[in-house]
This record gives sequence, structure tokens and C-alpha cells, in this order.
Amino acid sequence: MAEASYPLGDRLRSFLYMLGISFLVWLALTASLQAQELLVGAGVCLALSLALNTGYIRLGLPPLSAKRIVFFAVYLVVLLWEIIKANFDVAYRVVHPAMPINPGIVVIRTELKSDIAKMVLANSITLTPGTFTLDIIGDKLLIHWINVKAESVEDATRLIGERFERHLRVIFQ
Amino acid sequence: MRKQISLLLLLIVAAGFALCLAGAPFGAEGARESRRLVKDNVNYGRRYVSKGLDENRCANIVTSVVLNYRGFDTLGEVTILFIAALGLGAVLYGRRAGASPDEAQRPSLILSTGCRLLFPLIMLVGIYIFIHGHLSPGGGFQGGAVIASGFLLICLGCRKKKLNSVALGAAESLSGLAFVLLALIGLAVGGSFLLNFLPTGKVYALFSGGIIPLIYIAIGVKVGSELSGIIDNLSGEVR
Repeated sequence: MAEASYPLGDRLRSFLYMLGISFLVWLALTASLQAQELLVGAGVCLALSLALNTGYIRLGLPPLSAKRIVFFAVYLVVLLWEIIKANFDVAYRVVHPAMPINPGIVVIRTELKSDIAKMVLANSITLTPGTFTLDIIGDKLLIHWINVKAESVEDATRLIGERFERHLRVIFQ
Repeated sequence: MRKQISLLLLLIVAAGFALCLAGAPFGAEGARESRRLVKDNVNYGRRYVSKGLDENRCANIVTSVVLNYRGFDTLGEVTILFIAALGLGAVLYGRRAGASPDEAQRPSLILSTGCRLLFPLIMLVGIYIFIHGHLSPGGGFQGGAVIASGFLLICLGCRKKKLNSVALGAAESLSGLAFVLLALIGLAVGGSFLLNFLPTGKVYALFSGGIIPLIYIAIGVKVGSELSGIIDNLSGEVR
């Protein structure tokens, strides 16, 4: 079995992440702090995490620290703000009589290494109206952009990726 | 030897059916009987609604009807799903043997990472739905369908994973067996199939409703593993 070859530390981290995330989801679903709900929830999450404990290893999740949690909370606010700004920008382009769009596909580069970090970056770009991640190939992201302002990789990276990536670098590396 | 055993089983089933049907009113006599019931105001719907909460302590009256008053029907429904899955497996088995598997395109990193992240959480939502079937809308069938959708996501998003069909089969058989055993314990303890023999607890608490949540857990596991087996069978041709 390939799974048996993972180091114990990685397996433990994957297991603990899964346990923590699934128990938080359970609390959100039940919206209750009754002893019975907590007991059953703990049992279900524990069984699930034991059964699927190698599932999160390949995501490359970083060790948990207070700094990372704070930065992640800040990141959510940044993401929300970027989404609001981009919404107004796209709405402006839609209602403008001349429809000032210049759609095209650009390539941006990322310094993020782990799968989960790349996925969060790609999804943040997709959630922001006007830009859409088509694929990730190695350290390059293919982006569809509603209004291409820069075609070179460096300029596009600075305009699209950097606003998210400078936070993600702290969280995931 | 095998033929004789199957013949014997068939005879036992036939005798059981004959005994059951012998007691049921048919034809003119049956019509008279049903008119008499209507005259006596045996309105089943009204009876379930007015007495269901007291008898089963099950906050969701639909679950109370589906799993207790009409539990035998539900056993039949689960059996229908089982036979459908079995039929599909039988049809696809012959096709799979000779065909060479097609090479599927590798999924994008966004897709496969997202699948890995979400798969345990989808399982959790499915389990939540069938554990809370006696308190909130949903139940074993819905929860099982959510679980199967998680396996479908794995098949589509991380294509190379092959489902463990032995474990799926075992989960399915054991949960089906659990349903029948719970029903039979009721028969042994109180003299009626699917009798709610456990203490029913307080309404709206998680541990309430007697055997109803236990049966829904069995149904959830059974439906989930059955539908996942169907997905596994259907995806067997593309690898």
C-alpha cells in the first residue's frame, strides 16, 4: 500500500486537521451545544478521521499556529473586499454604453508550493468577478481576464495574483 | 444440491406468502370489511398525526410514519433499490470483462485538491442528515444519496481512485441485516414486526424515537453504499 509509506507526523497532522475541520462543520450543522449532539458529533468525526486519515496528506497543509489563524481571518476580509471592488468594476463595464471590455487569457506565476495554497489562490481569483482561473500547470496559472491590462507574465502576476498571494505566502509557507 | 436448497427456500417463501394472504380480506368480503372500518372512523392519517408524537416521541411525524407505522413498506423500498443495483451490476458485469479501459484525462489540480478537501465533509453532511432523520427533514435515503454524491465526486475529480467494492458490499449487507434484525427483535419482544421496543426518550432530543434513528442509520449506510456501488459499476469502464 502506498498509504503506509507516509511518515507518521504527516498522517497525524492530516488526521488532526480532518478531525478539527469536521467537528467545526458538525457544530455549524447542528447549531447546538447539547451533550448528546456533541457526543455523537465527536464520535462521528473521530470515526471519519480515523477511516480517511491519509486523505489530507497530499494537500500539504501547514502546521497550525496562532499567526496563521489570524492571517487567515485577515485574508478572508481582504478577499471579501476584493470581491466587492471587482463586482462594482464588472457592473460598471456591463452598464457602460461602450462596454469597455478587452477579454483574453493571460498566464501568471505563483511562488506557492503546496496544492492547497495553489487551490486557494485559484479559487480566490475565480471568486473575484472579472478573472477566472482555467487551470494550474506547475507554478503557472491560466487566467481568463475580462479586461486585459497587461500581457506579460510579470505584470499580470502583479495585478491579479499578488494582492492575494502576499497573504497566502504567510499562511501556507 | 444447490437446486434442492433453492427449491426448498422457494417453498418456504411461498408458504409464508400463502399464510399471510389467507388472513387478508378479499373481494366482496374485503369491501364489506373496509366499509366497516370507514364507518368506525378508523382514519389512519388522522390517527398517525394525532397519536404519532405520543407513541414514538419522534419530532418528525413523516419519519414516524415512514419508519414505524409504514416501516414494512420502507423495508420493501430498500429491497427494490437493492434489486435495481443488483440488476445494474449484472448488466454491466458482462460488458466490463472484454472492454479495454479508456485512458481518462488527468483532472486539473484545482479539481483534485478541492475533491480531497471536501470529500470527508460531504460524508459528514450525509451522516448528519441520516442521524437527524427523526428530528429534521431528510433521513436515510437523502443522507445516503449525499454520501454517494461524495463518492461520485471522487470518481469524477480524482479519477484514478477505485472504490473498495468489497467494503461497500459488506457495509450494504450488514446495514440491511441490521434493519431486519431490529424489526425481528420487535417481533420477538412484543409480538409485532418493527415494534418500537426501545425507550423513546424526550421529544426533540437526539436520543429519542426508540428504534427509529437506528433504522434510519441502517438505511443511510445501505442506500449510500448501494448508490456508491452503482457509481463504481458505471465508472468501471473509464480508467
